Amino acid sequence: MIELESIPEKLGIHEAWDVKGGVHWLSPGDLSVRELAKAMIEMHARFITITAYELPKDGGLRLEYHWDLDGQLLGFPFQLAAKSIESIYDLTEAVDWIEREIHEGFAVDFIGREYEPLLLREGDTMGVNLHETPATAKPASDLVAQEEAK
Amino acid sequence: MSYKIPMGPYHPALEEPYKLDMICEGETVTDAKLHIGFNFRGIEHLAETRNHIQVIALMERVCGICSNIHTLTLCQAMEGLTGLTPPPRAKYIRVVMAELERLHSHVLWAGIAAKLMGFKTMFMTCFELREKVMDVLQAISGNRVNYSMNRIGGVNRDIDDTQAVLKMVEALEAEMLRTVIPIFTTSTTARSRCAGIGTLTHEKALSCGVVGPVARASGVGQDLRRAAPYAAYEEMEFNTPVEQDGDVRARLMVRALEIMESCSILRQALTKMPSGELHAGVDKFNFITGTATSRVEAPRGEVMYSVSWKEGSRNPARVHVRTPTFANMPAIRWMVIGQRLADTPLIQASIDPCYSCTDR
Repeated sequence: MIELESIPEKLGIHEAWDVKGGVHWLSPGDLSVRELAKAMIEMHARFITITAYELPKDGGLRLEYHWDLDGQLLGFPFQLAAKSIESIYDLTEAVDWIEREIHEGFAVDFIGREYEPLLLREGDTMGVNLHETPATAKPASDLVAQEEAK
Repeated sequence: MSYKIPMGPYHPALEEPYKLDMICEGETVTDAKLHIGFNFRGIEHLAETRNHIQVIALMERVCGICSNIHTLTLCQAMEGLTGLTPPPRAKYIRVVMAELERLHSHVLWAGIAAKLMGFKTMFMTCFELREKVMDVLQAISGNRVNYSMNRIGGVNRDIDDTQAVLKMVEALEAEMLRTVIPIFTTSTTARSRCAGIGTLTHEKALSCGVVGPVARASGVGQDLRRAAPYAAYEEMEFNTPVEQDGDVRARLMVRALEIMESCSILRQALTKMPSGELHAGVDKFNFITGTATSRVEAPRGEVMYSVSWKEGSRNPARVHVRTPTFANMPAIRWMVIGQRLADTPLIQASIDPCYSCTDR
């Protein structure tokens, strides 16, 4: 069993866990989401979900990656200035649906993967969970058309 | 020659609307693709327009089977933001409700699985048993689907007649031991329809991140009631049934044994239930700015709620729900590959899917 306290050092992070709201939080610093995912998989942590937050005053988005390590809930927040982040789908297939859901709900691009429609249907607009639909939002029918063309 | 067979979104073999496109070579499935979203209601987005009381009623309607679990998880998260702790009796009542819900969910599933196996007598036996649980839930809460039991800092209603619940537990346990478990484990029909069918290997279970009975049937022994206890589970003694085969029969066995464990937990909770208040006695809540997360072991596996609040606001800033079927459903692809087409309805049912939860 891995001691939680040893994880920041293993990840090269010089901060301690911040236990708040039922979660052990760790700011990933310079660590990329893919490096973090690889480390979590090596530690046999189980991927749970990604929670997306739209920040106020054009602050962009924050994605919180949640992992379970022996019953401990770990959280790693990633700030997104541009609405994109690397996909970890090729590292763990458990993220497939939640990456697709956040792509549709918050118009986030997960770099390095393809999408198929998950929750939206023809006539819906990408970014349904955003407070304001971005001017550049594509209709979900684009996804549906891509899917049908395959 | 390979051909594509679309099943759903409306199909006699499916209990709820979703679609499974299967590629077949003769009678054998060689690949499959799942389509969900037919029940998408945008509930997470709606939650941001509801106040702290309305949002409980809204989230209770995410699922028609485990409605209580959704309000329990949400209330636990909101308690993290208000600093309230439920009194001991409320924690015990939460355990009783959660286990009653697990009982009715598992017995319902056993009935549906029996029907899909072509075992109509067992279907009726299971539904008769489930009705006993539903009667108890109705007697406690006044409702058969949305119990409205949970509130921030406790529960809304007491359980006055614990003897009546214990009587139901004894009757259910006796019938499970007398008919359901022996028939499911020894009858030729059940064995031939379930053993070696729809296998999810231990490795695939880990990589797909499946949860609940689906994970435990593939040798992944996780159970939040034990690993991260909530309510009064720390004070309960129970086993976590784990099977290694990963097939439909293993999932059936895990749920059958979990019914027996739920009966044991109910007996402990009802006999040890302390007297006292039902809630923290607070009607005005001071939410702090921040995010709180709660996880609960629902009948189908782990449910997680992340609730974000801004101090002074009437409504949550964000409510994110990760339901167990959302985690389990993608694994169906690996369960049906290499299987006979005729077995796919039972394989899909074996994860006890809930599309209402998944789509939200």
